[in-house]
Amino acid sequence: MKITFKIWRQKNSDSKGTLKTYDVDGLTEDMSFLEALDHLNEQLVLKNEEVIAYEYDCREGICGQCGVFINGRAHGPHDHMTTCQLHMRSFKDGDTIVVEPWRAKSFPIIKDLIVDRSAFDRIIEEGAYISSKTGTAPESNAIPIPKAKADKAMDAAACIGCGACVATCKNSSAALFTSAKINHLNSLPQGKAEEHERVEAMTWQMKEEGFGSCTFTGACEVECPEAISITNIAEMNARKLKAKLLG
Amino acid sequence: MALNFLFYRKSLIALTGLFLCVFLVVHLSANAILLLPNDIASELYNSYSHTLRENPLITVVAYVLYISIVLHAVVALLITLHNRKAKPQKYIMDKSQQNSSWYSKNMGILGTLILIFIIIHLANFWARIKLGIGEEVLLDKNGYKDVFSVTYELFQNIWFVLFYSILAIPLAFHLYHGLKSGFKTLGFYHKKGLRILAKVSLIYAIIMGVGFGIIPIVVYFK
Amino acid sequence: MLNSKIPEGKLEDKWRNYQLQSKLINPANRKKLSVIVVGSGLSGAGAASTLAELGYDVQCFCYQDSARRAHSVAAQGGINAAKNYQHDGDSVYRMFYDTLKGGDFRSREANTYRLAELSAPLIDHYVQQGVPFAREYGGTLVNRSFGGVQVQRTFYARGQTGQQLLMAAYSQLYKMVKAKKVTMHARSEMMDLVLINGKAKGIIVRNLVTGQLERYAADAVVLATGGYSRVFRLSTLAIGCNGSAIWKAHKKGAYFAGPSFTQIHPTALPQSSEAQSKLTLMSESLRNDGRIWVPKAKSDERPANEIPEDERDYYLERRYPSFGNLAPRDIASRAAKERIDAGHGVGRLKNAVYLDFKHAIERLGLDTIKDRYGNLFKMYKKITGIDAYKQPMMISPAAHFSMGGLWVDYELMTSISGLYAVGECNYSDHGANRLGANSLLQASVDGYFILPNTINNYLADEMKVNQPDLNHEAFDKAEREVKSNIDKLLNINGSKTVDHFHRELGKIMWNECAMSRNEKGLKEAITQIQNIKEEFWNDVNVTGQGDEMNTELEKAYRLADFIELGILMCKDALQREESCGAHFREEYQTKDGEAVRVDDEYSYVSAWEYGEDKFKLHKEHLNFEFVNPTVRSYK
Repeated sequence: MKITFKIWRQKNSDSKGTLKTYDVDGLTEDMSFLEALDHLNEQLVLKNEEVIAYEYDCREGICGQCGVFINGRAHGPHDHMTTCQLHMRSFKDGDTIVVEPWRAKSFPIIKDLIVDRSAFDRIIEEGAYISSKTGTAPESNAIPIPKAKADKAMDAAACIGCGACVATCKNSSAALFTSAKINHLNSLPQGKAEEHERVEAMTWQMKEEGFGSCTFTGACEVECPEAISITNIAEMNARKLKAKLLG
Repeated sequence: MALNFLFYRKSLIALTGLFLCVFLVVHLSANAILLLPNDIASELYNSYSHTLRENPLITVVAYVLYISIVLHAVVALLITLHNRKAKPQKYIMDKSQQNSSWYSKNMGILGTLILIFIIIHLANFWARIKLGIGEEVLLDKNGYKDVFSVTYELFQNIWFVLFYSILAIPLAFHLYHGLKSGFKTLGFYHKKGLRILAKVSLIYAIIMGVGFGIIPIVVYFK
Repeated sequence: MLNSKIPEGKLEDKWRNYQLQSKLINPANRKKLSVIVVGSGLSGAGAASTLAELGYDVQCFCYQDSARRAHSVAAQGGINAAKNYQHDGDSVYRMFYDTLKGGDFRSREANTYRLAELSAPLIDHYVQQGVPFAREYGGTLVNRSFGGVQVQRTFYARGQTGQQLLMAAYSQLYKMVKAKKVTMHARSEMMDLVLINGKAKGIIVRNLVTGQLERYAADAVVLATGGYSRVFRLSTLAIGCNGSAIWKAHKKGAYFAGPSFTQIHPTALPQSSEAQSKLTLMSESLRNDGRIWVPKAKSDERPANEIPEDERDYYLERRYPSFGNLAPRDIASRAAKERIDAGHGVGRLKNAVYLDFKHAIERLGLDTIKDRYGNLFKMYKKITGIDAYKQPMMISPAAHFSMGGLWVDYELMTSISGLYAVGECNYSDHGANRLGANSLLQASVDGYFILPNTINNYLADEMKVNQPDLNHEAFDKAEREVKSNIDKLLNINGSKTVDHFHRELGKIMWNECAMSRNEKGLKEAITQIQNIKEEFWNDVNVTGQGDEMNTELEKAYRLADFIELGILMCKDALQREESCGAHFREEYQTKDGEAVRVDDEYSYVSAWEYGEDKFKLHKEHLNFEFVNPTVRSYK
């Protein structure tokens, strides 16, 4: 199949970017979207042009490193999917595909389609952990955790940190990412001891990084590859209130 | 302290918004009087508005109302400005209609329309009745200010009827999303409860939209 | 020559005896010592955070944009531990024996026992860190079965166990970043190891954003860089996974052990085109309830659901009645290859077998299957577009885990003083084949429990040595070499892409050095790879510059090392004239196609020393004091 790609090219964080058009032939429906870009890059190398920079690692939808805006949607046209899981059979022969990087003030562009998501790491750094040292753990079955509770924690913990929620949010809010982590840890007995400090510090850092605020448009939960529910944000708000009152 | 204010501003919008939602219920129920035959409506409506003006508790509530409207609008403006800064560059191709509703993304525009409405609405009624600006308000046979006539006269003007009725539409959408998400902002996260809340919000928004929208039309044709 | 430093005493006392005898460092002095950790997966992040908790000054590096991307994230099925929660006769000894037997008796007893011994506390450790393992309604932990084992000892968090463990390790790492005891360098790739007076004292790093070369010095260097199965190009590994760090260490003197021991995973998605970059893994746990079969007739073109029961060949159940679909990975993969080669393969390219859940759904109900494997079925549908609740999955063997890696002693130190290797990049516990759900275990145990208790034995003496100096000539020399290598790649300006060479290398490795090997093929492969090497260095085209973000350049220097590693893998496979575990030499098999191990001659670990023209073999003889190596049968 033949596809016209319009891809955002930007030399580095300081320069101005623009959409560049590439006509690519010889693609097949079995190819993943990223393999189509690989194919394009090989052609660019043969023409001695500089290749397009884009990110990926595991290519099976779990590492969270890939992620671009494809035809106006985070990770492409389907709900709950990563860029690497998108296949060319989702497009028709002759289609035009517009590819842009995640856009958010807190995710500055490094090059072409690659952005810097280290703001997420800094939110994690503020308290997305249980402060106990290696070697201090009690026997696991000593603290029973009912299935429903463990399942709920797992639902939130499934976040892969790809940043699609921020990318798709009109306010570039990181509330879904932050709330998922807070709710995962705060809903487990192990995370209780630091629950209030965790909420305060992580939500504070979220604001400090320049993410916008959540207005519950619901776009994030649609684009989230792990389908993490927006209810998590409401729960985080409740935890914040609780932390203010009791913390 | 300033930053701490930022921290709470979302809750502030939600709280003032929810208060305004309650106010609208009261307001609409009173306005429903206007749907009654003119002779009954006139007396009831004037005595009702007289009671409101004379009650000191209502006076306090009125101030809370004014403050709420101002806070709701000002804080929303601040947040919107902040949110815009968080996404300085828009997407060249944007298909966000596939993942979220237009009204949830445009609460600011809807709110601005409502604000314009409120200003004109206040000029039509509040300025005349409470501040005494413009044409003098006459007294009815019970000696109350004839608010009913003010309303009746206003809605003989087709342009005002259209303005009031059409702006009930953005109001409905604003209320639908506002009520739903206001509770979430304040930390209501019970899954089943949220499903019920969504339905309640929809019904509430329809009642408010249809109610406020239909009254001027009914009055016009009466 | 090779001193494995196995402690004295009974099997169950060895680790304790070791700790009693090892040198300690007082907390005030630990602050003065620094450690470099390359890699941020379970072993790397585990080691970095635990060393930092102990007080050492840690610098941690990863090539990805965040430590959370490390490929430990992709492990789906679970992690083994001898907790015996299921009351089904499990014990540390049984787990030790299963692992040793699973590895076809090509690993050290003492190491393997320690792995089993530390497995139970590791589960406690992860639960404490907030890993949401699957639970019973009453709140206790659940276990599932895994291949090669007849007890249930695998703990899991849906189909995302690796991700959940990695999130725990990553969060602990960032806890120590916050405490200012770990400095995290993301988007940083180790380009070379720096030795001073024969000891590992630093690394040269390329900043992947600016392209600048940077120097880092420390009192010890820990490699936690994972597996190298991307040498096959098509594998279940992340695209960025590479063997460069250990290969650079190997070239500086670290021995490479069992390089050809590569696990081919039986349940990956089949290749569908030449352009494919990755073979997605479907968790082995699917074999708990799924049944593997092929049509009895060759080239059967009917859709799977139209093939009646009596025309289906459930070949694993037929060949291995006692383990059935849960036969170990090497055996399941080889059996699939045998059927596919015999013309029974299914799918468009006839390169797959069916994994069928029809009976499981009938027996357990759709809801139970959804609860157990829901996300795997979803993933399968995303990639293939097929609903596996309605028709069987198609799966195929794919290159997966590297049992081989840098040779390490009981302390996890390589043959270079002060250089440690932890996790998949070392050769330690798995022998010639790894059991499912043991890799998360080994990586974690190495990083959290073992290294932090062995590195002190070395660092205690390094207190007396001066802190390494970044201006030392060894750093100058190493950086110069890295720079000239990069310049060379950028200036070839040939006519072929890096991926072209990688595909060529991958094809040769997959055909000759994967599931089944023979002398003729391996010899040819070596010649062909040497030709590829020659052609690569004369005709590759790497666009862009060295002093900028350059993804082509990254691929190129990683491939350059893979090519050299490929040669060593073939040489290792050629030298080992027996079949053991994942290493199956066609010349050494029984009449019905089972592996023939030759213990009299090959009961050793092959540790290769790098030489410009020739690799030199060192043998670490395996001394089985407690267990008698038997023929590995799963029939």
